[in-house]
Amino acid sequence: MIENSFNRRDFLKVLGWGGTAVALSGCGNTSIQDGVETVVSYVEPPEYAIPGISVYFNSTCAQCDAGCNITGRLREGRVLKLEGNPNSVINHGKLCGLGQAGVQAHYNPDRVREPLLRNGDKGEVIAWDKALGLINEKLSGVKGDEIAFLTGGLSGHVKVLLNNYLEALGSKNHYAYEAVSPSVVRAANKKAYGVEMPRLRLDKAKVVVSFGADFLGAWVSPVNFSQQYAKFRKADENGRGVLVQIESKMTLTGANADRWIVIRPGTEGILALGIVNALGASGVSLPADVAAVSKAYSSERVSKDTGVPAEQIEKLAALLKERSPSLVITGSAAEGYAHGSQNAAAIALLNRVLGNIGKTIEAPANVPFPQVAVTTGNRSSVQALNDSLANGKIKVLFSYGTNPVFTAPTALKFKENLGKVPFKIAFAHYLDETSREADLVLPLDSALEDWGTSVPEYLGEASQLSIQQPLMEKLHPNTKGLGDILLALLKQRREKEYKDYEDFYSYLRSAVVKNKSALGGSGEDDDTFWTNTLSNGIVPFSASSNNLSAKSSAAGLVLPPPADENSGYPLHLIPSVTASLRDGRHANQPWLQESPDPLTTIVWDSWVELHPKTAAKLGIVEGDIVEVTSRSGSVKAQAYLFPGIHPDAVSIPLGNGHVALGRWAKDVGVNAFGILDQVVDKETGELALNETRVKISKTGKRVFIVKDEGAVGGSQAGVKIAVRVSTDDVELSGEV
Amino acid sequence: MSVSNMLENWSKFRHMHPVDDKPHEEYKWAMAIDLDACSGCNACSVACYAENNLPVVGKQKFDAGQQMHWMRIERYWDDDGREFPDQGAQFMPMLCQQCEAAPCETVCPVGATNHTADGLNSQVYNRCIGSRYCSANCPFKVRYFNWYDYPTTDNVWPAEMTQQLNPDVTVRGKGVMEKCTFCVQRLERAKNNARTEGRLVHDGEVQTACQQACPTSAITFGNLVEPESKVAKKWAHQQVELAAKDVQAKDEQEGGSDLRGYRIFEELRAYPSVMYLERVRESAI
Repeated sequence: MIENSFNRRDFLKVLGWGGTAVALSGCGNTSIQDGVETVVSYVEPPEYAIPGISVYFNSTCAQCDAGCNITGRLREGRVLKLEGNPNSVINHGKLCGLGQAGVQAHYNPDRVREPLLRNGDKGEVIAWDKALGLINEKLSGVKGDEIAFLTGGLSGHVKVLLNNYLEALGSKNHYAYEAVSPSVVRAANKKAYGVEMPRLRLDKAKVVVSFGADFLGAWVSPVNFSQQYAKFRKADENGRGVLVQIESKMTLTGANADRWIVIRPGTEGILALGIVNALGASGVSLPADVAAVSKAYSSERVSKDTGVPAEQIEKLAALLKERSPSLVITGSAAEGYAHGSQNAAAIALLNRVLGNIGKTIEAPANVPFPQVAVTTGNRSSVQALNDSLANGKIKVLFSYGTNPVFTAPTALKFKENLGKVPFKIAFAHYLDETSREADLVLPLDSALEDWGTSVPEYLGEASQLSIQQPLMEKLHPNTKGLGDILLALLKQRREKEYKDYEDFYSYLRSAVVKNKSALGGSGEDDDTFWTNTLSNGIVPFSASSNNLSAKSSAAGLVLPPPADENSGYPLHLIPSVTASLRDGRHANQPWLQESPDPLTTIVWDSWVELHPKTAAKLGIVEGDIVEVTSRSGSVKAQAYLFPGIHPDAVSIPLGNGHVALGRWAKDVGVNAFGILDQVVDKETGELALNETRVKISKTGKRVFIVKDEGAVGGSQAGVKIAVRVSTDDVELSGEV
Repeated sequence: MSVSNMLENWSKFRHMHPVDDKPHEEYKWAMAIDLDACSGCNACSVACYAENNLPVVGKQKFDAGQQMHWMRIERYWDDDGREFPDQGAQFMPMLCQQCEAAPCETVCPVGATNHTADGLNSQVYNRCIGSRYCSANCPFKVRYFNWYDYPTTDNVWPAEMTQQLNPDVTVRGKGVMEKCTFCVQRLERAKNNARTEGRLVHDGEVQTACQQACPTSAITFGNLVEPESKVAKKWAHQQVELAAKDVQAKDEQEGGSDLRGYRIFEELRAYPSVMYLERVRESAI
């Protein structure tokens, strides 16, 4: 593609700045309209820029922690559409709806455009050098342990700079908070398999039993799992894979199961041991420690506790025994209880008994550079930070990429405690509920304007460094990249060490190029290596894989009996994490709001899911505005009668109910985070998302629910539209 | 065209597709959607918004049935009265079926919607007068009408959001009917490139936006005329014929065959260009 005579420096500029050159001569709409800029055709067009022809640049998706590799389509310097990068081992050229809405995060009119300094209730525009100087000033005389940095999950070179900055400040207070992360599962995996996030081989499994893991929707790395799922479903030499989903509230994955088993909330571990026991009874040899624990769990007893029919348990055990290898996955539905760790441990025993470890649960690839590996976010960190805030220990707080004022349980009084911090700095794309509380707001480049690297938590086939590069010129002149800000702050402390780096780009380039021999670039000169790196958007790590160490013993595993009837608060609240809104940080992207929830088809609002039986008992019909009250608070939302939920449970989706975050998010729906009780998993201290008990009352108001399903509410009315066939009646083997 | 000429040569001008005597020549674009792979995740729908400049209409207009999702996921439950949907939901990606004998085409008073040589049901925005007869006559309800002038409506494409618009696709104005085009802008580009190089479009060279995004690769798209194309192979294996004279092979057998390819509303003889593959559920559990 590149002629030798082509000036390499120019070429680097071209690739390196990810389309900036095009953008310069492209049309910024508003400035042309204002007459500031005029449209002038190229006198000497850049070689690759042909008006009307798209160019493509590779980068990394920042919409969720899965970190899919993306390819941006550009025309005349504007990014138009994001696709998956076909060479990615994570998403193989595919991209979910959330990822595609990344362009709306970038072009969002509600982005913060200038550094803002608090003056009473208002934010006043302040110059960057003054803002950075102010930070320096506020930090002087403050001890290291009085400084804290709050982020979401973080990896790559920004994490390196952040750690260096904290070190320079003498602080060890990095809190990584993710409101809906699989943090109990990580701890349980570590115990059962020796790693927090093993590689799951759905594609190799003949049967997948998922305890509430919504791996097709919102769990860990959905695009990767979706592709594996497609292979799993193909009738290849393994036959068509069978998916069994066990949960109290149907997720998108549950809606795709061959058998969806509804279970009494919190009894997932009991059912797992019941299946282990049934496997033992059918002749599968159980290790002594497992047999000792599971022998008390006869199918009859388990059936009584869980509400799952005994024959269903035995049928499932028979299927698992007959079709090997299988894969059992623990999801957020099972981990969200005070005994979440025990649930997860019991479920992990199934994989041990079935011999899946090493077959469908594999060791992930190594990340040879631990300094760039991901620091995963969890829920207990915000509790720890909150304690420090409440005690007035923190004098300066930096926050980035997480919104605890919106997501932390009300009982923590996080917002109130935040007010005790004398100086709060928020690195923000938008004014969300947390950055609104800050004293200084520093506007960030969008993910499509910024430089960066990342290493995802779930690695897929191999480990790699994903490159994030600007896909276009900055929309707003006064935003900055997080890396650039951190570098500037570091220069305040360690001028000598960082003075050679003009900006984050030069730091990044030098950091990556320095290690080129370990990154598959030995023998290449620096420029070629860097050019290839940016062009691919991916640098594979050459790494051996770990070994799984399955040493855990079942001894001591105790599961509590099913939760008591609670007359004051008779229903379990199961907040649902939806594929598009997750923890709510993307609620201001209109494509996601208008994208119907797959299961209820509701748009632009929150709702309360109730089983028709429960609704009938309470005299509730669809559209009734009901008040859902927990010990921690209450919300009012429209009731939706949903057959895929346990009659003792109600579900409200998370993500909506913002009081800030811009025109498309503010005042849409209700915030279910706000009524969660502060109950934690006893072993890990993680907030137990499903432990909140609620009661429901009618308010007397009723609305028409705005939804996509037709008047007959999801019935095909006897017409053959979407057809289902049993495996008995179809021949799949010869299919192309 | 004089009226007499039109009447004399009626069959030439109003050619009922598909017919044996005049098969498609170079291209016949068609799709196969595997409902056993589709997870209902909505990635296709968002991809369509991004590619085709679809307006986000907001809650109020959505409530009035004015949403513009060319690609939508329909969700159905079983009607058998069980307490729980223990075999999951039924998801159905629904888009314009690009019927060969499209009911929408015959009712357009101004000929704004008609058939292209490569088998697309095209919509000429400039010609559309907004009678909405086509929408009324569409059995699949996949035609969407612009009740408002979205480019000038508040908060549809404010400020910078306009920069995301795909310059290959028109932004439609008020009073115009629109619908899925099988990403005709991508098809035209691929055909042009191929023509320049003196060849036909290769299988896999062009993808629709929904197909490209689909995380489970449930959507197959291509040229039905080319027997080696993936989509043609799928149609052939399922014995679904574009121009089935009476019933499809699958439906000829008592109780159905062990094939799972079908088209929706086959009995209306609209001859859709989208074949669906039935969702499969395991009998052993």
